Amino acid sequence: MRQFGMIFSHELRTYLKNKVFVGITLVLVLVMAVVMFFPRISGLFESQSTPEPGISQGGEAEDLPVMYLGGVGGNEAVEIFTAGFPGYRVEPVEGDGESIAQLVQEGEGECGFYLPSETEYVYYAQDVSFHDTNAQTAEALLRQVYQLKRMVEGGMTPETALKALQVQVSGEVVSLGSDQTRTFWYTYVMIFALYMAILLYGQMVATNVATEKSSRAMEVLITSAKPTSMMFGKVLASCVAGLLQLVVIFGAALVFYNLNSSYWGDSPMIAMLFDIPVSLLLYMVVFFVLGFLIYAFLFGAVGSTANKLEDINTSVMPISMLFVIAFVVVMSSMASGNVDTLIMQVLSYVPFTSPMAMFTRIAMSTVPWYQIVLSVVILAASVVGVGILSAKIYRVGVLMYGKPPKITDLLKSLKNA
Amino acid sequence: MVLEMKDINKSFGAKQVLKGVSFRAEGGSAFGLLGRNGAGKTTSIRILMDVFPADSGQVLLDGKPVDYGKIGLGYLPEERGLYPKKLIGEQLVYLARLKGMGKKAAEQAVDFWLKRLGMEEHKNKRLDTLSKGNQQKIQLITALAHDPEIIVLDEPFSGLDPVNAQLLKDVVKEQIGKGKIVLFSSHQMNYIEEFCDSIAILHQGEVVLSGNLRDIKRSFPRDRLVVRTQSPEKIQAAFPCTQGEKGELILLLKAPEEKQAVMQRLTRDFDIDGVEVFEPSLNDIFVAYTKEGQA
Repeated sequence: MRQFGMIFSHELRTYLKNKVFVGITLVLVLVMAVVMFFPRISGLFESQSTPEPGISQGGEAEDLPVMYLGGVGGNEAVEIFTAGFPGYRVEPVEGDGESIAQLVQEGEGECGFYLPSETEYVYYAQDVSFHDTNAQTAEALLRQVYQLKRMVEGGMTPETALKALQVQVSGEVVSLGSDQTRTFWYTYVMIFALYMAILLYGQMVATNVATEKSSRAMEVLITSAKPTSMMFGKVLASCVAGLLQLVVIFGAALVFYNLNSSYWGDSPMIAMLFDIPVSLLLYMVVFFVLGFLIYAFLFGAVGSTANKLEDINTSVMPISMLFVIAFVVVMSSMASGNVDTLIMQVLSYVPFTSPMAMFTRIAMSTVPWYQIVLSVVILAASVVGVGILSAKIYRVGVLMYGKPPKITDLLKSLKNA
Repeated sequence: MVLEMKDINKSFGAKQVLKGVSFRAEGGSAFGLLGRNGAGKTTSIRILMDVFPADSGQVLLDGKPVDYGKIGLGYLPEERGLYPKKLIGEQLVYLARLKGMGKKAAEQAVDFWLKRLGMEEHKNKRLDTLSKGNQQKIQLITALAHDPEIIVLDEPFSGLDPVNAQLLKDVVKEQIGKGKIVLFSSHQMNYIEEFCDSIAILHQGEVVLSGNLRDIKRSFPRDRLVVRTQSPEKIQAAFPCTQGEKGELILLLKAPEEKQAVMQRLTRDFDIDGVEVFEPSLNDIFVAYTKEGQA
């Protein structure tokens, strides 16, 4: 225990004195500052440079891009489209779709609609961007016009018909479990932070062990301290260093956000990010720490089998792959919205995937408490087991020079360890 | 204090590295563990240091299994190396504390040894700024700072200049004088011969020879004489001879009992500078016992 404490504080101090570690942290804090101050900074630029186009808005129709309109409907259609597309100057065009296409092609106007009948349209545009909703708007407009006409024909007054068509419905969504529209973003950020932290710190632990081995400091260390003390000291120190780094980065982000919250006022996504319930934060810490540890132990064990630092990248590949697969599965079920699929349920008990899978389920769905307890217990027990196992691999691995051993060789030698 | 390895067996996979290794080292004297590359020296040392356990056999101190929690062990590994990027004083204190020393005691011990080895000016430098020999002196401190009862030095003299080698010799003699068990492992026979009272020669995982070095030398048949002379021709004509390494003559006797008579005849009838009974050097013994094909 005494040895563990000494190794832990030695390793932790090494991290905190490491220029790269400190540098990365500062850079990330700076990035957070830039991101969080962005609306304020860009606001400054806008208020200086935008007054001229701002005045013309809605006033001079000359400045608006041109939208051509042809086909059936006549003046009525032009009026409706003008009202429906406030961002365009609608110009009626004689002739068929071909001529509109040609006009758009030549770059005279930005886009155009051709209406072969009351219920059909063809949309011409140079490039249809991802955010181009003109077609949907036109569709809604045409549908409304069609419905209005039929209703009037059926004997309604145009006013009643219009009122009926434009009726406003108000409502509220009360979620008794998780509301994915709210939880998605911070779950996403948390999973991503876990992913980055594990790969980054895992690599650091592996490098740390391999450096001691290749510098032969190991020869003295292994006779001075128990392998379990070495392994747990190193891994826990890296875990604390990692958590500290994340707390600094996200803490800085939170502070910067609060400094600028008025500028972010209308961005629901950012607001949601900082609206994590406390209970979920606690789960996050639990799964983060356990998930971090289980992988860090594996990385440490693998690092001990490498002879040169160059070998590490290939040696850690299987672990990284395992982790990336878990990450992809979790991410894709998050994106699909259904986080309680059978595979996710299974993954939320498997120690190597449960930190991400179970956390996602807790955040984005409703999981019975006993499932959470079971998952955490399995994970915690596995952390201890993997820790002891990797300490054994470490003891065997650090003294093996020459080509990196195969997994089967390692397991065989474990019997003697 | 008596340290004993008793009937140690160790296999790595299918390869048996140690086959019933036994030897005995006493406090207040140096013990030499010899063997060719791959003979099992490092494995024996690691078992002694409790890096990994033996498959069977015992490591005893004064007849009882070694209590590694209580006994202090110092180790200078053959593969040298510490933290190249860390400050020397800092890492020495860390390693001494890992061995169980308190912070203050560790700092004092490190300061003492840095001074003793003439390295105090380097305390706040990074290890990789030092020359190889000086790095080795720093490493020696990790083996000695915590004042261990048992000191294992694996090839301690390799890479040291004559002045540093002398310094190390003095330090080792000091430690032996304090009644400690000093275990040498080396290929440099002259150092072993100079320091060690007893030796064990390992060959292919087995102890092929062990015991007091003087007794071992005496146990060789005393049937040869070393003759130094300016005119070897006459002697060569009278006796069966071989040429020694330094130009001396080695007379082969028919039996050890003859030596008195032959020596008398040599001093009476020939012009010689000196004559003595031939004792094999440790080098001769080592080569004789570890030649290929012998086990």
